[in-house]
Amino acid sequence: MLKVVGMKEFLGFGLGLRSTHFEEIIQTKPDVDWFEIISENYMVDGGKPWYYLEKIRADYPIVMHGVSMSIGSVEPLNFNYLDSLKHLAEKVQPKWMSDHLCFTSVGGINSHDLLPLPYTEEALKHLESRISQVQDYLNREMIFENVSSYVTYNESEMPEWTFLAELTKRTGCKFLMDVNNVYVSARNHNFDPMTYLNTIPKASIQQIHLAGHQDFGTHVIDTHDEDIPNPVWDLFRQYAQTLGPISTMIERDGNIPPLSSMLNELTFAKTQVKDIWFDQGELKHG
Amino acid sequence: MANLASIQKQFMNLMQNKPNRLINSIAQQGQLEPRERLSIYQTAYRIRLTQVIEQDHEQLGKYLGDDLFDVMVEGYLKAYPSVNNSLREFTANLPRFLSESKPFKQHKILADIAQFERLLLHAFDATDDLTLTTELLEKLNEIDWPLLVFNLHSSVQLVEFKTSAVESFQTLKNESAPPSPDVDKPRLWLIWRTPSKVTEYKLLEKEEFELLNLIKRKQNFSLLCQSLINSHPPENIAHILIQYINIWLSLGLLKQF
Repeated sequence: MLKVVGMKEFLGFGLGLRSTHFEEIIQTKPDVDWFEIISENYMVDGGKPWYYLEKIRADYPIVMHGVSMSIGSVEPLNFNYLDSLKHLAEKVQPKWMSDHLCFTSVGGINSHDLLPLPYTEEALKHLESRISQVQDYLNREMIFENVSSYVTYNESEMPEWTFLAELTKRTGCKFLMDVNNVYVSARNHNFDPMTYLNTIPKASIQQIHLAGHQDFGTHVIDTHDEDIPNPVWDLFRQYAQTLGPISTMIERDGNIPPLSSMLNELTFAKTQVKDIWFDQGELKHG
Repeated sequence: MANLASIQKQFMNLMQNKPNRLINSIAQQGQLEPRERLSIYQTAYRIRLTQVIEQDHEQLGKYLGDDLFDVMVEGYLKAYPSVNNSLREFTANLPRFLSESKPFKQHKILADIAQFERLLLHAFDATDDLTLTTELLEKLNEIDWPLLVFNLHSSVQLVEFKTSAVESFQTLKNESAPPSPDVDKPRLWLIWRTPSKVTEYKLLEKEEFELLNLIKRKQNFSLLCQSLINSHPPENIAHILIQYINIWLSLGLLKQF
């Protein structure tokens, strides 16, 4: 079993790399500390995506973020996918790689959605074994993101936060904590988001995601097509006070605004934690 | 109580609108009923895959109109649920679906437009082969030419349509009405990505189309010359072929040896 022990590197404040911004990023070299790519978008042989990525990765650190590992699926691991991921990582040389704690495909059919797992001992054991297999095969540490959800299973034996805390205790895996997802799930399942965030060991947090959602009053849907709303900023600030500096990025997948708007939002993210993570502009030790 | 495997199977059945018992596993919480909670996932699944078809087959969508497009999406999602990790491949079977399913199969042009749009996608993200240059060809010895085998750039696609699929694609893209689907003779199309990464397409005459197909089949320079023997005086053939090669080099259709 691969044992991965490493210092958490603080990359600063990043953005999700989206094709609509490719040209402007190359031309203007904006003040972004790093970019996160969707791994599957670059599992192609060549063409424009690679052309731009090669140029951008020459100037910025890159992190890879996948959406189809389906780590929680009961299906056998998809080694063709893992081979593609391995090949991609060799070409991109990312700072780290992440995917989601969920299942996406079953019975050979891909839902292209991040479907929630029941929080059971069975699921924990299943993940324990799968994470170990994947990390051994890739010969790399994988970081896993908490997903937003709209359902709670009657079969669940523990809350999500206990499940995640137990998972990292058993596997040593690190998390990409999506603060928006915690907010969305907290609203949909009526729990206290800080109870969730405080239960997950701080040492296991490698990265933070921030994003927007659609609030329908009775429920909230994780859409990534709006600016980050105040409740998510509030939660981020509150969470940041409990953590040392953690690499933080903004995800936007729909209704994508001009790069200048994304840069303004990123600046706002920095100001939210300026006095918490920095002392007179210098990074405080986490 | 359902186990992990059962929950996952039920969930996938739900997404595909197949009979399922997932509702029995969903806890009653807050103001939203379990059925409403599950419908969020069903709706997202449908919207996500519909958006892929809309994005990858924009002109086909215009040709069909909203109502028929919805019928196509519903049928396609049922017949060909996604089996790939990448959404890029989701519409790989759309040309086949359109050529086999009523009412679409009665209109051959629909499958042709879908195929053309798929070929554009293939060209868009094909391997970045290094392109062959005049300078490299000039370095070859004269005696090597007869057995010389060219290779097409990975982005090159050759396709024959017996409909006005590409003309219709083009006019729809320009927000104009498409022409009649019928054409007087088959249309021979070349689709490729230029060295500046732009996807292009070009209508070819039969001679050039066949020469490129011979190259695709790894035929050597002598065989390319022979293919022209019935249509040109023998003394002109090498010259004609060199002219074609110069055009192909300038377009970036040939890759380095």
